[in-house]
Amino acid sequence: MRLRAAVAALCVAHFLGFSAGVGAHHSFAAEYDRTKPVTISGTVTKVEWQNPHIYFYLDVKSPDGKVENWAIEGGAPNTLYRAGWRKDSVQPGNQVTVDGWLAKSGAKLANMRSVVLADGSRVLGGSSAGDQQN
Amino acid sequence: MFQRVSTLLAGAAVIVAAIVTPAPVTAQPAPTQPDLTGFWINQYTPDLSRVLGKQPPFTPEGAERWRTVDTAKDPTGRCLPPGPTRAFTAPFPFLLVQHTTMITLLYEYFTIWRVIYMDGRPHPADIADYPDFMGHSIGHWEGNTLVVDTVGIDERSWLDTAGHEHSDKLHVVERFEKDGPNIKWSAMFEDPKFFARPWSITRTFTPGKSTDRIMPYTCTDNNKDVEHLRPNQPNLDYRYEPEVTK
Repeated sequence: MRLRAAVAALCVAHFLGFSAGVGAHHSFAAEYDRTKPVTISGTVTKVEWQNPHIYFYLDVKSPDGKVENWAIEGGAPNTLYRAGWRKDSVQPGNQVTVDGWLAKSGAKLANMRSVVLADGSRVLGGSSAGDQQN
Repeated sequence: MFQRVSTLLAGAAVIVAAIVTPAPVTAQPAPTQPDLTGFWINQYTPDLSRVLGKQPPFTPEGAERWRTVDTAKDPTGRCLPPGPTRAFTAPFPFLLVQHTTMITLLYEYFTIWRVIYMDGRPHPADIADYPDFMGHSIGHWEGNTLVVDTVGIDERSWLDTAGHEHSDKLHVVERFEKDGPNIKWSAMFEDPKFFARPWSITRTFTPGKSTDRIMPYTCTDNNKDVEHLRPNQPNLDYRYEPEVTK
C-alpha cells in the first residue's frame, strides 16, 4: 500500500515541478555508462539514506552460486522523499530488482533508474540520466 | 462612589482624546514592492544552453574551455558550493526572506545561503581579492522588480552541470519579478574573458505549499561518487563559430 502511494506521489511530485530524476551535483556520464544498462536482482543488505545520494546494497547470486554485494545509487533523499519514498521503502532483507546503468569505474555499482520493490510495485529511483544529455 | 466617578472621568477623557487628536500627518505609505518571502520551487536546468537554444556567445577562450571541459571535474561533485545562479537551477527549493535592508536566500541545495544587501552599500573594494563561491550581492528595487548585482564569484564554480564555466570577471545581474503567484527570474551573465557579449536566461519559481520545508543537504555526509568519476569530455567535437555582428 505504501508503495502504491509512492507511485502516485511520484506523479504528483512531477506535476508540482519537483524533478524526480536527480543527480544535479555532477554529470551522470562522468560516473555511469549509458551504453551499459543493467538489471540486478538481489536481497537488500544495507540502506544509506544520506546525502548527496541514497545508496543501498544487494547480495546478488550469480548462476554459479557465488554471492556478490552490489551498491545501488539513487537520487537525493530530499527529492526521493518528496516523490513519495521513505527511508524504509527499501529495507534489509527485501527482495528487489533494479533497472539502471553500470558504473564506468568497473565497480559493482549501478545507478538506479527504477526499482521493483518487495510488494511488486515499480518506483523511479531518482536517476539524473534522463535530465542530462552528457 | 469616588472610584466610580473617577473611572467615568477617565473613560470620558479617553473618548475626547480620541476625537480631538489629529491623525498623524506623516503616515507611512504602504510599501509598493511585492513581498517575495516564501518557499519557492525552481526549475531544474542542468544545461543553460538548452534554455538559450544554442551555446552562449563565447569568446575564443570561453569556447575552448567549453570544448575541453571534463565534467568529472565539476566542483559540486566534490561538494564545493554551486555558485549564485546554479543554486537557482538545481532541483532543490529555497527560502527567500525579505527585509527592507537585507534579503536572504536560504537554499536547500548544499544548505547554503546568500545575502542581498539592500541598504545602498557598494560592493567591497577588495572583493576581487576575497571571492566567494556565492559572490557578493547588492540589490535595489526598480518599480516592482528586484534587481540584484553580483560580483566576486569564485572562478572555480560552474554555471551548470553541463560544464559551462566562467572567470573571476563574471558579473551577474538578476531580476526577480512577481508574475501572478510565481516569480519570473532572469540572470544576465557578463564575463569579458568567457563571453563576447552579455547573455541571459529566464526561469520561473513557483510557490511551495505552507507545509513544505527545507530539508538537509549535507553533501559531504556520504559522497561516495568521487572515487567513481572518470574523465568525461563530451564536447570535443564542438566547433567555435563567432557571432556575426551586423
